[in-house]
Amino acid sequence: MSTAYPIPSDISPATVKNTASLLRIVALSLISGAAIASRLFAVINFESVIHEFDPWFNYRATRVLASKGFYEFWNWFDPTAWYPLGRVVGGTVYPGLMVTSGIIYNFLHALNLPVDIRNVCVMLAPGFSALTAWATYMFTKEMKDESAGLLAAAFIGIVPGYISRSVAGSYDNEAIAIFLLMFTFYCWIKALKQGSALFGTFAAVFYFYMVAAWGGYAFITNMIPLHALALLLMGRFSSRLYVAYTSWYAIGTLASMQVPFVGFQPVSTSEHMGALGVFGLLQIVAFAQLVRTHVSSQQFQRLLYGVVVAIGILGAFAFVFLTYKGKIAPWTGRFYSLWDTGYAKKYIPIIASVSEHQPTAWPSFFMDLQFLVFTFPAGVVLCFRELRDEHIFVILYSVVASYFAGVMVRLMLTLTPVVCVASAVALSTLLDTFIDPTEPPAEEDADDGVSANGSSSTAPPSQSASKKAKKAAASAPTKTALGDFVAATSSKGGSPRPKGIFGLDSRLVVVFNTLSMLVFFVFHCTWVTSNAYSSPSVVLASQNPDGSQHIIDDFREAYYWLRQNTPEDSVVMSWWDYGYQIAGMADRPTLVDNNTWNNTHIATVGKAMSSSEEVAYPILRKHDVDYVLVIFGGLIGYSGDDINKFLWMVRIAQGVWPDEIQEPNYFTPQGEYRIDDRASKTMKESLMYKMSYYRFNELFGGNPGVDRVRQQQVPKEGPTLDYLDEAFTSENWIVRIFQVKKEDPLGRDLKSANQFAQGKKRKRSKPAPRRRAIV
Amino acid sequence: MKAVFIAALLSLPSCLALTPQQQLSQLASAGGGLIKLNADTFGLLTSPKRTWSASIQFTALDPRRRCNPCKEFNPSWGTVAKAWANAPPHARQDHFFATLDFDDAGGVFQKLGLNSAPLVFNYPPTEGDRKPSSGNTSPTKYDFSDGFEARPLADYLSKFTPVPIPYKDPIDWASWITIVIGVLGSLLCLRFIAPIVQNKWFWAAGTVITSLVMTSGYMFTRIRGSPYNGGDGSWIAGGYQNQFGQEVQVVAFIYGLLSFAFLMLILVVPYQTSPQRQRIQVYLWTGVTMIVYSVLVSLFRVKNRGYPFKLFL
Repeated sequence: MSTAYPIPSDISPATVKNTASLLRIVALSLISGAAIASRLFAVINFESVIHEFDPWFNYRATRVLASKGFYEFWNWFDPTAWYPLGRVVGGTVYPGLMVTSGIIYNFLHALNLPVDIRNVCVMLAPGFSALTAWATYMFTKEMKDESAGLLAAAFIGIVPGYISRSVAGSYDNEAIAIFLLMFTFYCWIKALKQGSALFGTFAAVFYFYMVAAWGGYAFITNMIPLHALALLLMGRFSSRLYVAYTSWYAIGTLASMQVPFVGFQPVSTSEHMGALGVFGLLQIVAFAQLVRTHVSSQQFQRLLYGVVVAIGILGAFAFVFLTYKGKIAPWTGRFYSLWDTGYAKKYIPIIASVSEHQPTAWPSFFMDLQFLVFTFPAGVVLCFRELRDEHIFVILYSVVASYFAGVMVRLMLTLTPVVCVASAVALSTLLDTFIDPTEPPAEEDADDGVSANGSSSTAPPSQSASKKAKKAAASAPTKTALGDFVAATSSKGGSPRPKGIFGLDSRLVVVFNTLSMLVFFVFHCTWVTSNAYSSPSVVLASQNPDGSQHIIDDFREAYYWLRQNTPEDSVVMSWWDYGYQIAGMADRPTLVDNNTWNNTHIATVGKAMSSSEEVAYPILRKHDVDYVLVIFGGLIGYSGDDINKFLWMVRIAQGVWPDEIQEPNYFTPQGEYRIDDRASKTMKESLMYKMSYYRFNELFGGNPGVDRVRQQQVPKEGPTLDYLDEAFTSENWIVRIFQVKKEDPLGRDLKSANQFAQGKKRKRSKPAPRRRAIV
Repeated sequence: MKAVFIAALLSLPSCLALTPQQQLSQLASAGGGLIKLNADTFGLLTSPKRTWSASIQFTALDPRRRCNPCKEFNPSWGTVAKAWANAPPHARQDHFFATLDFDDAGGVFQKLGLNSAPLVFNYPPTEGDRKPSSGNTSPTKYDFSDGFEARPLADYLSKFTPVPIPYKDPIDWASWITIVIGVLGSLLCLRFIAPIVQNKWFWAAGTVITSLVMTSGYMFTRIRGSPYNGGDGSWIAGGYQNQFGQEVQVVAFIYGLLSFAFLMLILVVPYQTSPQRQRIQVYLWTGVTMIVYSVLVSLFRVKNRGYPFKLFL
């Protein structure tokens, strides 16, 4: 057989095999290294710090676990959160993440490595991303082969869609969840392929770990049954499927019920009913198969078929009936809003208000997946070409996940693994085809001037011949492309058609093009990771005029001020976004935090923020609030501040007190959201507005200040505060803390007391004598 | 409408003997649950001493006023008001639905300082046991952010009525009939459809088109209700987290073309038996990939100004 380039022939197959396996190990360890390294931008650019909001709670809980032990953590009642209600942390948390870092911490200390628990938490996500790369390699290996697996591992290692949730310091449930997701799927595929109860049990164990780690476990709970159902409908029922599914479901469900936060949900909520239903269906089908092998009568088999269908329909009706009677809880709002996309905005504004629950525009997809976004459909088509049982899984996964990723930015995370797998299948098939040195026998074609093994030195054919060829080629693809495509995809029977690439240049062109796309992908990922996804958002960065980095550290400045200067039991009120940070960094009780379980409590805070001082003051006093904390970005142009979130506070408050808070009142009559002179009266009188712009004009020497986020001039007369006192304002004014005044000792209301103190009483009384004079 | 006026006129003499609330219920039952107001009856309905509540639509239905939203909203208002007419009689007397047209009582519009229509105001009772506990008896405005449909309106107004409005969504016969015909039709044609449904490439096309459309931000335009294009001919929405409907089509097409080029290289090119034809196809599809990819990257640069990389374009 002719080859396009010389290949050595004196190597024994064993050597090839050993070298390949060594290279695979080296490649995998390099990929792990790259995956970890690219997540360290956050530590290098800033410092080893816990990021964002939720990680601060996880970190705080982990510290409790590490210092006091597991039982203390399990029974931990946190009286400082949701003041005055408190929170039963042990029963309302997915403990997988904390337990994982606790185990690592204790293991390292057992080895006499005195690592700080914070560093364990910061480095957990990068560490697990290396494991994710390995799990993806194993998964893709089952789809195609090792080389596709290596590509997939490399993709998942550096793809921004996954990095966005797993940079160093982003200590959140997703950090370990994606590894568990991929590994559970791998075990499931393995169990299905081999009909192995052992791998089914592994899948169940890792499913349990996933349930303990992330609320997104419901994705697995529905993906595996969906796969089983699809196989069933396609007539691919086998004892392998039965063994794999049954062992996974039975063990996995029992195990998942051990997590207190999940409890009896697997048998009582709609999210889990699909898995239960498919479990029942498989039992019926397996029973029918068994009976059929023992009974020969045609009529009896028909009867059996009818009975099976009837039982299936009856079972489905039983689910509907139980849901209707309230025995099975209907879909929870969070899941339901994935299907009925308008639902959340209308009924659960708290869920709709979170920025990561917004729908995804196409630039986000391209930013997070780059060229994988279009090689992925090609990979899915290749899965259709072979269509083994495991390929059906990838196909279902790709459809479901791309819908979910479109509905919520956050679910891009679940789409990313399947995109990496499918793209790796496509690219490795492409590279396999074009690197393979064997050349097919050339067709004896009369008008084909160039010899089959035309090397680069062959003289080009004559002018007319090349023109003719070009013309033929121009019409050829359009005319025959589809025909070839159909032939290539549907030809199954008969002798295999000869297949291969002629010549070296065609190979080089395609391989070079693919390699440059991969290189571009690496540059893209590095840029996106370092610029977009490595900001801790606790510490902000901007650039000085000379291009050097300027660190804005207002949050920590303010939280440490609280920690140092206020009594330990003083209650701080802020919008719920900052609850975990205040608890974690300032160690002060908060009214509401990011665990948004009590809508009324959040609405209370929203009401206090959006009503006037007189209305808000009793609320503040009733909740023992000592300090109110607002985030204000108007001075340096930090757009994620409270004034921009204000409308959500209004909306959430309106949901509970529709008579007292009405959203339209916060707009100008023209329906604009403004903070300048034209702002509505309600807006100007709201506590949030007053706290944000209090003394803002003084910075501008008495001239009206300019809000750099809204690009508007604030009114010349700045707001005044009677019931609150400014306690602290951070360097760039991002965090402002106000102290709530105690009741006036003389029993006056604070407004008149304030006016008396300022000497305004006399001014106000001036007109009175004049009026008397007129009379 | 004439009948209403006649009824109102006829009831005038008896008005002297009736309490305002009885007058209003007579007017309401005469108008089928909806009172058509003029300046006088408006005063009567919103009198400062009222034990009843009222929902009033301020509108301008006369074609000369060219108020299209008014015409759009009026039917919803009518159906909700009619639904209230079926409420239990004792509750029906405590809440009234009314419409005030600009051409009937322009003075009221001026007095209230209204310069737009349609508007819906709710007047809570100022006396009696249904008086709001907060003591705030000023009218509240209905927010049209949920659109002009009857269902959200009924839900909102039910908060102010003594009992919830017995409103039921009309059955959407058209869509039900379409579904039934569709199901029956496909059952009848099952024999002809079966080969298509059983063909895996049918499903492959469905899968690929779904994922292409979804990754092009189709759900974003659905949920946010983005316009198809900018109106002034521009079809690229400014900003990174924003897009128009046309972008979905363009981007999905680009993705699809690139995927197709890859598939051609993988599935079709190796089976060519003529070296010359194969070479040209290789160059063709590689060229397509390079050029279309450059277009895609430049499109992304428009959306994300800070993006530092570019290809040939």
